[in-house]
Amino acid sequence: MLSRYPSTRNMPPIRRILVANRGEIALRVIRTAQEMGIETVAVYSDADRTALHVRRASRAVHLGGNKPSESYLDIEKVVAAARATGCDALHPGYGFLSENEDAAQACIDAGIEFLGPNPKAILLMGDKVEARKIAMQAGVPLVPGLQEDVDEAHLVQAAKQVGYPVMLKAAAGGGGKGIRIVREEKELLEAFHMARAEAKGAFGDDRVYLEKFVTRPRHVEIQIMADKHGGVVFYGERECSVQRRHQKLVEESPCAALTPEVRAQMGKAACDLARAVNYVGAGTVEFLLSEGKFYFLEMNTRLQVEHPVTEMRFGVDLVREQIRIGAGERVSPVAEPRGHSIEVRVNAEDPDTYFPSLGRITRLNLPGGPGVRLDSALYRGLEVTPYYDSMLAKLVVHGENREQAIARCERALRELRIVGVSTSLPVALRTLQSDEFRSGDYDTGILERLDRKPPAARRELAMLAAAATRFLFAERAGARAAESTATGRDAAPRWATLGRIERLRRSAP
Amino acid sequence: MKYITKLGGEEREFTIERHGDGLRARCGETVYALDLALVGDGATFSLLVDGRSYDVVADVQREQVLLQMLGERFVVHVEDERERAAHAVAGHKQGGKRELRASMPGIVVDVKVEQGSEVAEGQTLVVLEAMKMQNPLTAETAGKVTRVLCKKGEAVAAGALLLELE
Repeated sequence: MLSRYPSTRNMPPIRRILVANRGEIALRVIRTAQEMGIETVAVYSDADRTALHVRRASRAVHLGGNKPSESYLDIEKVVAAARATGCDALHPGYGFLSENEDAAQACIDAGIEFLGPNPKAILLMGDKVEARKIAMQAGVPLVPGLQEDVDEAHLVQAAKQVGYPVMLKAAAGGGGKGIRIVREEKELLEAFHMARAEAKGAFGDDRVYLEKFVTRPRHVEIQIMADKHGGVVFYGERECSVQRRHQKLVEESPCAALTPEVRAQMGKAACDLARAVNYVGAGTVEFLLSEGKFYFLEMNTRLQVEHPVTEMRFGVDLVREQIRIGAGERVSPVAEPRGHSIEVRVNAEDPDTYFPSLGRITRLNLPGGPGVRLDSALYRGLEVTPYYDSMLAKLVVHGENREQAIARCERALRELRIVGVSTSLPVALRTLQSDEFRSGDYDTGILERLDRKPPAARRELAMLAAAATRFLFAERAGARAAESTATGRDAAPRWATLGRIERLRRSAP
Repeated sequence: MKYITKLGGEEREFTIERHGDGLRARCGETVYALDLALVGDGATFSLLVDGRSYDVVADVQREQVLLQMLGERFVVHVEDERERAAHAVAGHKQGGKRELRASMPGIVVDVKVEQGSEVAEGQTLVVLEAMKMQNPLTAETAGKVTRVLCKKGEAVAAGALLLELE
């Protein structure tokens, strides 16, 4: 599968990589490095001493306490670990130091290849206002509107120009506060005053700007890869509209709503933006897609969680590409994409309240079979702690077409069983089974509309199964009690019997 | 034996008995032929319902059964007829007073109510961690919390009184 890449024989100035991350992404990087004959150095916090990334890496360096600030986020410690172990490169993964320009600069200063873009590109794209300016200059479409604070005098005219419905947003905003949707001119002024007041209350800053309200937006993103010689390619799109509070849950590729023309335009826009900041490495340009038009949202200057969706469809190893590019090679030609792929994120959380769920993984069944990939750092006995992200695993499937991929994903979700913490699996399953998802015609509101209650037939079956297990337990407890009475011992109380069964099963392999 | 099961707001009554090699369950007019076999690991069951096969992980904590099956997670409250009768008597004796007791020895990881809290049926009152599993203990009926006898972080014995309600 990887034979189409240029030979790496003459390559490596990269012989050892420090993996500045944990969890599944650290393992993901270690896997590719191993395949390339490159040594890996893991770093770890107190809580992660027995984590899989430590056990699978060639070497491991202890960083310190459990808090990310004392370990994975401590640039000095991480770079010192890379120097002490003679690493030529550092892979930041996602999160932690991946979009930190100081970390990238510290690597450069230490003579270590940072497997990501230059610090300037990280800085520019990290500043939302700056990023929008650059996007505009590069000819990338933005949501129409006014970038600056509006005053009452210009408001009516500006809204007319942009076209209703429009959105008023707090300049200092975030988290949905200070946002007003206005559908008609007569509602405009009142909404404006309310948005100002809300912005003032929430952020202590009453500046408000105006934007076109994008109806039924889809979140679609383009994966790009750029080398140090000006070469930029894109690997199609990922549809990430299944999200709540900006947390993606299910991603797929291709996006059902994208025509080849729009896809090509989006790809070009993403590549243009990358060129505008001399981008190097893997990056993602996020867009809103609505009624066949797309608008720039932001650029993520890292490898993303959902990158396997692209890998499955294009038969590419994006981490391998990152490492090759870091070593000075050119981007590989992009293969024709094949079939359809879907990723489901598995988070340790209560499926009803979305609160994180902590505990020890006592039981684990991993899915298998054709077209199934599981990226995780899970193992039986793993303690899910409150220190880090709640994502436990990513289930990625590939099928000949969307229908097959959905069926395969459902099948694999049933095989995947994690006991010890609650997970988001039921929500993902319900999403895949919903008519809205199946139709392919959905938008970022899909999870809010989702009926998360299991169908009646399943609830009925669960009640039957629960009664039957209690019957069996009672029967066994009865048999044990009878047995111990017969042998002259005291009959154990019922909970003790259950406890014994529990201990027996815990000691089972 | 008769079992009264509750899930969400729904209630179903099943009569389960041995029948030949397997079990027979009756719910109203419907009769199910069951075969339930414990897998070697002690917590997974292979359940056949009229020949249809289901792989079930069940954690039975007295009257609370935590299930994973069909890719779903269910917390089902199951009472057998003797327990129901005992509860009825206890309820009568105490003049509507109810007790929440620890179903297993464990650690109280969260107390979600305080004295005087009005609670709805099925609402989580206390979260008990036992065998490294977190178990929400829920209100069997709507009512009011009259006393809180446990606190967060406390280790409790099986059967320990955690809350009093009415």
